[in-house]
Amino acid sequence: MNSAPDSEKVLDIRNLQVSFRSIAGATRAVNGVSLDVRSGEIVGLVGESGCGKSVTIRSIVGLVPSPPALFEDGEIWLRTRRGMTETLSLHKNTKALRQIRGRDVSMIFQEPMRSVHPMMTIGKQITEGILEHEVVDPAEAYDRTVEMLDLVGLPNPAAQMNRYAHELSGGMRQRALIALALVCHPQLLLADEPTTALDVTIQAQILELIRDLRDRMRMSVLLITHNMGVVANLADRISVMYLGRIMETGTVEEIFKEPAHPYTHGLLASMPSLFSQPKTRLQSLRGVVPELAMVPKGCVFADRCPHVMPKCDETPPVIELRSDHSAACWLYADVGEPRGAPAVADQPSLPGDRPPLDSPPRVETIPLAGSEPAADTARAAPAGSEVAQLQIESVALHYPILRGLLRRQVGTVRAVDGVDLTIRRGETLGLVGESGCGKTSVGRLVARLVEPTAGHIRFGAGGGLEEITHISQKEMKRVRRSMGMVFQDPLSSLNARMNIRNIVGEPLMLHQLAKGRAVDDRVGELLEMVGLRAAHQSRFPHAFSGGQRQRIAIARALATEPSFLVADEPVSALDVSVQAQILNLLLTLQQQLNLSMLFIAHDIAVVRHVSDRIAVMYLGKIVELGEARAICVRPVHPYTEALLASIPLPMPGLETLREMPKGDLPDPANPPAGCRFHTRCPYSQPVCEREEPPLRPLAGDADHFGACHFQDELQLQGVEEIGELGASQ
Amino acid sequence: MKTYILQRFIQMIIVMVVVMLVSFIIVELPPGDFLTTLREQLTEQNVDPKVIDSTVEMYRARYGLGENWFIRFGKWAWSLMKGDMGYSMQHNRPASELMGERLSLTIWISIATLIFMFVVAVPIGMLSAIKQYSAWDHSFTFLALLGVSVPSFITALVFLLLSVTLLGATTVAGLFSPEYVTAEWSWAKFVDMLKHVWIILFIVGLGDTAGTIRVMRARMLDTLGEPYIDTARMKGLSGAKVYFRHALRVAINPIISSIGLRFPQIISGSTIVAIVLTLPLIGPLLLDALLGEDVYLACSILVVLTLALVIGNFLADLALAWLDPRIRFEN
Repeated sequence: MNSAPDSEKVLDIRNLQVSFRSIAGATRAVNGVSLDVRSGEIVGLVGESGCGKSVTIRSIVGLVPSPPALFEDGEIWLRTRRGMTETLSLHKNTKALRQIRGRDVSMIFQEPMRSVHPMMTIGKQITEGILEHEVVDPAEAYDRTVEMLDLVGLPNPAAQMNRYAHELSGGMRQRALIALALVCHPQLLLADEPTTALDVTIQAQILELIRDLRDRMRMSVLLITHNMGVVANLADRISVMYLGRIMETGTVEEIFKEPAHPYTHGLLASMPSLFSQPKTRLQSLRGVVPELAMVPKGCVFADRCPHVMPKCDETPPVIELRSDHSAACWLYADVGEPRGAPAVADQPSLPGDRPPLDSPPRVETIPLAGSEPAADTARAAPAGSEVAQLQIESVALHYPILRGLLRRQVGTVRAVDGVDLTIRRGETLGLVGESGCGKTSVGRLVARLVEPTAGHIRFGAGGGLEEITHISQKEMKRVRRSMGMVFQDPLSSLNARMNIRNIVGEPLMLHQLAKGRAVDDRVGELLEMVGLRAAHQSRFPHAFSGGQRQRIAIARALATEPSFLVADEPVSALDVSVQAQILNLLLTLQQQLNLSMLFIAHDIAVVRHVSDRIAVMYLGKIVELGEARAICVRPVHPYTEALLASIPLPMPGLETLREMPKGDLPDPANPPAGCRFHTRCPYSQPVCEREEPPLRPLAGDADHFGACHFQDELQLQGVEEIGELGASQ
Repeated sequence: MKTYILQRFIQMIIVMVVVMLVSFIIVELPPGDFLTTLREQLTEQNVDPKVIDSTVEMYRARYGLGENWFIRFGKWAWSLMKGDMGYSMQHNRPASELMGERLSLTIWISIATLIFMFVVAVPIGMLSAIKQYSAWDHSFTFLALLGVSVPSFITALVFLLLSVTLLGATTVAGLFSPEYVTAEWSWAKFVDMLKHVWIILFIVGLGDTAGTIRVMRARMLDTLGEPYIDTARMKGLSGAKVYFRHALRVAINPIISSIGLRFPQIISGSTIVAIVLTLPLIGPLLLDALLGEDVYLACSILVVLTLALVIGNFLADLALAWLDPRIRFEN
C-alpha cells in the first residue's frame, strides 16, 4: 500500500480517515475514503451536506486546520512536478505544501462572491500567484494574467486587471477565480460546489467553461456537488459519498443507468427532474443525514435504507460489480461468489426498463413517462377553480437610488415593473426566474410586506375579491388571517428565542383564535399535520434540522387555516432528500386543505413539479405565462427556453446543443430598451432593440401568454422532447 | 475620490459651525452682561478706572456687544479663528494664554497614546487570532479584560503607590522633574519629559489598548474564516503573506475608522489621570472652568476639542478610503 500509484493517476486517495476532536469527543468525518482521478478525467464526488466531501478534498492540500482535525490513517498521492508526492505527510511541512498549492493543484470554492479579496485588484491577486511560484518579471506575469482572463471568457481582460471584486458579478468572479486557479497550469483542479451559489444560466456557463478548460489545458478535475444533474453532464466518473464513506463509484453512465447502491437510487429519485410526473409524490429518502456522532454502526446508511437487513449491522465490503463500478452494499455480496465477481444480473436498476424479479427489491422511483392514477386526480381541477383567489393588476415596485450629500434621486430600480397575475382558488401558480428578477418582490407585494408603487392587488379572503392595495395595517391583519407565508431560510425566519409552541401558536393568539390550553392542542395538531411530534412543542428551533425547521415554518403559516399560501423559495436552502420531503408535504397539504399557492423558486424543475401554471419573470416583468407542462414542453419565450436548457439534467451524454444566454442579468436600474431580454437572446432581431413586446396570448392558445415578438414563429425547444431523445439513445 | 474628500470637508465645516453656534448660545446664556461682570471684577481688584474703561471698551468693540446676535456671533467666531479664545474670568487672563502649552501637550500626548495603542494592540490582537486558544491568546485575553475593566485612575493610583513604597520615589507625579517644571523648553527638558511620558501613555492608553486588542482579535478571526483567505492560501502564499497582505488590511478597517472617535475620548479619559498625576493637560483646566462657570474658557476648550475630533474623523475617513476600494466606489 505504501508504494506510489501508477503514473496514469493524478490523484490517489487511499483509505483516508479524518476525525475531529471536540469537547464531546472525537467524531470521524471521513472514514476510509479511497478515490482516484486519472489524467484528463473529471471525477464527481456527490453527496448531501455534512457527508465529509469538503473535508476529503481539503485534506489533499492541507486546508483542514489541525487541530481540531486528526488524520488517523490513509495516504494521499498527488502527481506533482517532482513526481508522485504523498501530501498527508507534508501537512507539517508547510513549505513543501505551499509549493504544491496553486502550481500542481488548485482549488475553486463555493462562494465566488466571498472568495475574491475585496480590497485588491483582480490583476494583482492573479499575478501574485505567478510571482509566488515562478521567477518571472512583473511585466510577463501581467501579460500572462491578461491572457488567462481572456481564456476564461472575461470580456475586455486588460480592463478587468484593475477592477475590484465588488465591480464584478458572481459569474464573473467565478471566472476570475478559475483564472487565478489555473494561471500556473496545475494538473488537477479541485472544485468545491463551484456553481451552487450561482444562477442557473450562469451555472450552465461556468460548467461549460470547466469542461472546455479541461480539454484545452489538459488537466483533471475533482468536482464536489450535491446536484446529480451537474455531474451527469460534466463528470466522467462519479463517487457517491455518505457519512464519510464512499457508497458507490462508477462511470457516469453506469451510475445513472444502473445505480447499484440504495443511497444513489434515493438521491436520483429525490430530484424533481423535468421528466417527472408533476404534482406527484417524489420518492424521497426517509429521514435526514444524522449527526456525525450518531452514525449507525455497520452500514452507515442502514437507518435510511429501504432494503435494510440484519446483515447491515456489519460494515459492508466494497464490491466490484464491474471493472469500473463498485458499491459498498450487502445486497451484492452473494455468499459463495468470490468478491469482485460480476453481479450485473442481480443489479437493481431504475424501474421503467427492467424491474428485477427477486432480490434486491427495487427502489420506488417516479416513472420517466406515462401517468399514474394519482396524477390524474391531482391534476383534476379542484372545485371552484374559476373563482379567483388573488388578482394583481399592473403592480409595480420601484426603489429610488439616492446619491450624494442631499440624497438626490439619480435613478430607479424597477424591481417589479407592471405585473398582472391571477391565482385561482385551489391553484398553485409557480413564479420562476433568476435572482434579481423581482420574483420575491412579487411575493412580498402580495402579502403587503412592501408598499406597491402602482397597481392594484385584490384578494378573496372569504367571498369575492376585495381591494387590498392600500388598506390600513389594521384591516390587513384581518386579511392576513387568510394568507400564510413560508420563507427561504428556515433558520432566520424562526425566532431563536421562542419555543415551537409560541412560534406556531403566535398567529392563533394574534387573531384570538385560541387561548391557553387550546393553543397547545391546536399547535400539536398542526405539528402532526406537518409530520412532527406534538410533544416537541416546548423545544427551540436550534433543536431541529433544516428540513424540520421548514416544517415548523409551514405549520405556522397554516395555523390560521388560510386559503392562500405564499412560498418563497421554500426548498432552495435544503438538501436534495429533504427538499423532496418538503415538496411532498406541500403537495399533500395543498390537496388536503384546498390551498391556493404562489410558489416562488429559481429552479424551473422544482416549480414545474408543484405548479398548475407557471409564470416566468425576467427583470421585473412576466415574459411567459401558461399551464406548467405546456410551458416546459413548448416554451414560447427564449428566456424560458434558456432556463429549461440551463437545468443540468440527470441524464449523462445528453448535452443541450442550444445556445445559452450570453452574459449576466442586466442592471435592473437600467434595463435594456425594447425587449428586456434582447441583450442575451440568441434569436434577437433589430426590432427587439426598439420595441417592447407586450404579454399577449399565443395564436390559437388563449391560456398561454408570451412576451416575445416572434412567439408565433419561433420553434423553441422544450424538455419532453429531450426526454424522448434521451430515451431513444 | 476628489468629490469624496470635498464632501467630507464640507461636512466637517458644517459640524464646526454648528458646534460653534451651540457654544456661542451657551456663552450668551448667563444673565447680565459679560462686561458688567468684568468691570465689577476689575473694580474689586482696585484697578485704575481709566484702565478699566479702556479694557471694557476694547472687549465691547471686539465682541460687538450691544449689537444684534449674529454680528456678535460673527465677531466671536472670527476672533476664535484668529486664536483669541476670550477672557477667563476665574483666572483673570486671556483663555488662550491659559490653554497654550496645555493644549499642545495634550495633543501630543493623545497622538502618542494613539500610536502606543496601535503599535501594541494590533500585533497582539493579530497574533491572538492566529494562535487562537494558545497560551499567548489566553494570557492576553485575560490581560485585555483586566485592562478594559480597571478604570485608569485606579491604575494611576496603584502606580503612584507602588513607586513611592517600592521604589522610594519622591517625585512621581507630573510630566517633568521639579527642576524643569517652570523651565524654558530645552533639549534637557524634552529628555526629562520622555522619561516621564511613557508611564502616562501606559496609564492613559491601557483601557483603549485592551479594548483594541479584543476588537483586533475578533476581526482577525472573522477575516481568517473568509473564503478569500482560502483562495490566498491555495495560491501557495506563505503564512506571513496571507496574514499581512490579505487578512490584516481587511481586519484593521474598524480600528482605523474608530481613530477619529478615540481622540476626544483620550482627552477626556486622561482628565482624571491628569488630576491624579497633576499633569499640565487640558482636561483639568476644562473641569476647572466648568466648575467655576468660566464660560469663555469652557466654550473655547470645547470648540478646540471638537475641532480635534472633526479633524481626526476626517483623517480617519481619508485613510479608510485610501485603504478600501469599496468606500471609494460607493461615493
